[in-house]
Amino acid sequence: MIGAAVDWVEARTGAMAFIAPLLTHHVPRNAKWWYVFGSATLMFFTIQIVTGVCLAMLYAPSAAEAWESLRYIDEQVPFGWMLRALHGWSSNAMVVMMAIHMLQVFLHASYKFPRELNWVTGVFLLFTVLALAFTGQVMRWDQDAYWGLGIGASIADRIPLIGNQVRGLLLGGPIIGGETLSRFFALHVFVLPGAAIGLVGLHLALIMKNGISEMPKPGATVEPATYREEYEKRMAKDGVPFYPDAAQRDMVFCGACLVLLVVLAAVYGPFGPGGQPDPTLIDANPRPDYPFLWIFGAVSLLPPASETAVMLVAPLVGVLVLVAVPFLANAGERAPSRRPGMVLIASLAVMAIAALTWEGKTSPWSPVMNAWSALPTPGHFLTGRTPLQVQGANVFQFAQCRNCHALDGLGGERGPALDAIATRMTPDQLMRQIQQGDGNMPAFGRNLDSAQMTALVSFLTTLKPEFEAPARIPGAQLPLPVRRMPGEVATPVAAGPQ
Amino acid sequence: MSAHRAVATLGALVACGGVVVSTTGCDRLPGRPTAAQVAAEGTAEWTIQVFNTSCRGCHAQGTEGAAVPLMESDYWRAATDEQVARAVLEGQGMLMPAFGPSAGGPFTASQASALTRGMRAIWGGATRQSSEISGTVVAGNASNGKSVFDAACAGCHGAAGSAGSVTDPMYLRLVSDQGLWTAVVAGRAALGSPAWNEPMPGRPSGLTATEVADVVAYLSSQRPRSMSETQP
Ligand code: HEC
Ligand code: HEC
Ligand code: HEC
Repeated sequence: MIGAAVDWVEARTGAMAFIAPLLTHHVPRNAKWWYVFGSATLMFFTIQIVTGVCLAMLYAPSAAEAWESLRYIDEQVPFGWMLRALHGWSSNAMVVMMAIHMLQVFLHASYKFPRELNWVTGVFLLFTVLALAFTGQVMRWDQDAYWGLGIGASIADRIPLIGNQVRGLLLGGPIIGGETLSRFFALHVFVLPGAAIGLVGLHLALIMKNGISEMPKPGATVEPATYREEYEKRMAKDGVPFYPDAAQRDMVFCGACLVLLVVLAAVYGPFGPGGQPDPTLIDANPRPDYPFLWIFGAVSLLPPASETAVMLVAPLVGVLVLVAVPFLANAGERAPSRRPGMVLIASLAVMAIAALTWEGKTSPWSPVMNAWSALPTPGHFLTGRTPLQVQGANVFQFAQCRNCHALDGLGGERGPALDAIATRMTPDQLMRQIQQGDGNMPAFGRNLDSAQMTALVSFLTTLKPEFEAPARIPGAQLPLPVRRMPGEVATPVAAGPQ
Repeated sequence: MSAHRAVATLGALVACGGVVVSTTGCDRLPGRPTAAQVAAEGTAEWTIQVFNTSCRGCHAQGTEGAAVPLMESDYWRAATDEQVARAVLEGQGMLMPAFGPSAGGPFTASQASALTRGMRAIWGGATRQSSEISGTVVAGNASNGKSVFDAACAGCHGAAGSAGSVTDPMYLRLVSDQGLWTAVVAGRAALGSPAWNEPMPGRPSGLTATEVADVVAYLSSQRPRSMSETQP
């Protein structure tokens, strides 16, 4: 009866004829536990789609309701929190698994002939999935999202000529608002998953076409002229069917991953939402999600002047280098022991990303958003001051300088502490620093009027240890060298205030 | 380990996990988020929480904080609840930010008055609201105020005084009349600034309410009316 039904369907669709070779195709016998990471990545992707569809049914993608709807899912919907936890943890797990998979392919040089395009589709998948992770963080529509978007927008802004247009396209307007969320929602649930599914299909089709690579053996080189023929011969003689031999191992590993995922979700729960994304209701120390922390670690270590170049150029170079990998060397040795240079590169990359992630986690690149309204100006900076200087301290809080600059060890650490700034800078230098900003410090020129500026500078000139002399106009710093064009006549430079 | 053994082990593990979860109940899993931990509006806990994150940076106590200390009773003696709630919702002068909905701020009108009542209950002290002097600015006579200033204030704020000028046009541009009123009425003991009715060098018995109005009118009259007057 069932057999008859299957035959009926088979006669009309050829489904079994399509699936059977997928299951029975031969894979190398020695392809043991090394080869399970790709399947685990696929499993996490499937979980993302299933939980994602469920979440899309409950989530309200409007700026006014998004945050509330997450609280609703967490607190009211049966198992809603579990759904969010699974989606969040599985997203991180997918990125990790993908990185391990990629590392394994790189170390075993599986990207060599004829599998160059397997690698290239994989690289595109990597960036699609990272984009999914980023847009997913925006869906929480909390302060982390706001902060991430702000930084994304400022990167877009730096693109020469069309920066403003790109920013507008990304945010759906000049500022982060309701339009932005709709735009990222469309990206996160339609555009990017569509692209990812297409790429996964392509990736799998290429695997079927080119077969699974064997474990690398020192001396067994890849010769494009003869490789295919010999590979097929070896598989026919020594290969094992994918199902059940290799599939069993995949299932065990995926099962273990799944158990771990459920435990993580059950114990640590969903991510966020953090505080509401209201720039005036600031009570968090926003950070991006894990897959992006290393980027911010890198940015926090850069000298500010190089930031624009690095933020714009580094991602492009990254894509190009990754895509180029199989084309730079698509034949010859595959064994790691014969490719020590590649092993070194891989280890350095892993260590760099780990170190930068740590840096991103611990570095004070993020301002303390509520310092201006929460941390009082220390009393010893207010006693014995003139009323104008006391108002300057009010301006210091009001203009949110404290969010980036600590006094008495309290406040943001994005910029240097200013407890002794009067010993380092003259009033003119202070005025210029505040008006024009510098590197990572915004320019306040247009936001402070002359009275606020005068009071602020007057206050800053009192910030010094009690017995130390303030910076003086000519004395404290050596005169700046005068840059002269070749052939230019030296003009005397007047010292002192302009 | 053979794949068959591994499958069996894993199956057993999953089964155990399932049993544990179904007996303890999903609601008691540690990852389940608890309802947001926000103290109920109007409680003392809530007041402190809100004050510490939104106000304390400018309004603290003793020598701390550059604006009027709200964590001690001096200010609360003359101030009225309406005045405080208005300052919170609409801001005041140039440097007190508005926290009300019209400014896109986080507080509703009812939260602003809950915060006001809460602050008064915690820091207002036993002192009753003073009936001797208004909490809000009262119109006065600037030329009388000049002579009050010379007699009572110049000793500390005059050219030879140690407390710094309060007629500096830059200073006056930054502070509202209400701000001046509060500075004179409440003083600031920790920084050595006397309250209106406390002894001053030229006035052993302090000022009268009329004199306060006059001296504030005088200071206000010294404020430059346009930007250009303060350009250095
Ligand atoms: C005993 C000396 C003394 C006398 C008398 C005195 N003051 Fe003050 N005043 C101070 C000190 C000290 C400060 C605190 C310094 C500061 O706030 O910068 C101050 C601060 C002020 C402020 C600024 C408050 C602020 O934070 O903006 C004003 C306004 C002021 N006084 C007005 C007056 C007036 C008007 C009188 C006369 C009725 C007066 N003071 C009498 C010592 C005095
Ligand atoms: C977004 C964070 C941020 C804010 C807000 C900010 N700054 Fe800065 N500031 C910095 C950074 C970062 C530097 C280090 C300079 C650089 O990046 O080149 C800096 C440098 C300075 C310096 C020079 C310190 C030195 O030792 O060289 C002064 C003075 C200063 N800031 C004053 C202010 C004042 C006053 C305000 C408020 C009006 C303010 N900053 C607001 C981030 C900030
Ligand atoms: C950035 C610093 C800053 C923060 C934060 C701030 N204030 Fe103020 N506040 C000021 C200044 C400065 C003034 C005086 C303004 C003036 O009159 O010129 C002021 C004035 C006031 C006054 C009016 C005093 C009077 O003259 O009667 C009240 C009440 C007040 N603030 C309450 C609050 C409360 C409540 C909060 C927290 C929700 C808060 N402030 C947060 C700076 C601040």
